[in-house]
Amino acid sequence: MTLAQKGRWTTVAGLALLAAVYVRALAFTPIERTQGPAQKIYYIHVPAAIWTETAMILVGLASIFFLFLKDARLDSFAEASAEVGTAFATIVLTTGPIWGKPIWGTWWTWDARLTSTLFLFFLYIGYLLLRGAVMEAGARARYAAVLGICGMCLVPFIHFSVYLFRTLHPMPIIMKPSTPSLPGSMLATWSFSFVAFTVLYVGFVMQRYALARAGARQEAGHV
Amino acid sequence: MSEGFPHNAGYMVAAYTVAAVILVAYAVTLWRRTRGL
Repeated sequence: MTLAQKGRWTTVAGLALLAAVYVRALAFTPIERTQGPAQKIYYIHVPAAIWTETAMILVGLASIFFLFLKDARLDSFAEASAEVGTAFATIVLTTGPIWGKPIWGTWWTWDARLTSTLFLFFLYIGYLLLRGAVMEAGARARYAAVLGICGMCLVPFIHFSVYLFRTLHPMPIIMKPSTPSLPGSMLATWSFSFVAFTVLYVGFVMQRYALARAGARQEAGHV
Repeated sequence: MSEGFPHNAGYMVAAYTVAAVILVAYAVTLWRRTRGL
């Protein structure tokens, strides 16, 4: 079985897990008293946000190692992780405002967390556009690596922005030094969702990495 | 739905639908692009 086929089956498993998450979250997880059903958006928004940020950290780390080792596989991995991160960032930037409208009374506010997350999305888009715009493979990989490292540096700022600034965005209730402030059943649903998103990230990256390697081989064959 | 909760289930359904559409659409595009691999 090829890597792309393994990635396809991993993605199928991830989508099946996600379907189970939907059933558990929508039908078997209690409704939070003050926010109502809209609070359940949390179970998909936060895992997507964590993988949006983690994907960019992995892009940055792969880029650093690429600049030192000049191993094209690292560049291919960065390319794959960036595209998958863009998909997750799209989920974050759509589900967030859908939650914000009933809870905050507005779809969007220019606070530090939201603005920096939007900036990360634009960095992802810029990264992908840059890769599409530079024809020479070596230069493309180097330029993309520099941008990937810049993106990685933005991630800690996004995470800590709620501590550094007065923001409308809620403080972390799971990714914090103390124990998560969620009841057990809600935490179990969130954890289940996080596992589903993790499997999806792995499945997507396996397929996209196989595609990137095939593209690199084809490109090398034309030189 | 209990009377004491805010009635905002439509937002929840919209968010879950959007997320599912994005993930399934991306999975389909990857499947199409990697068919020969």
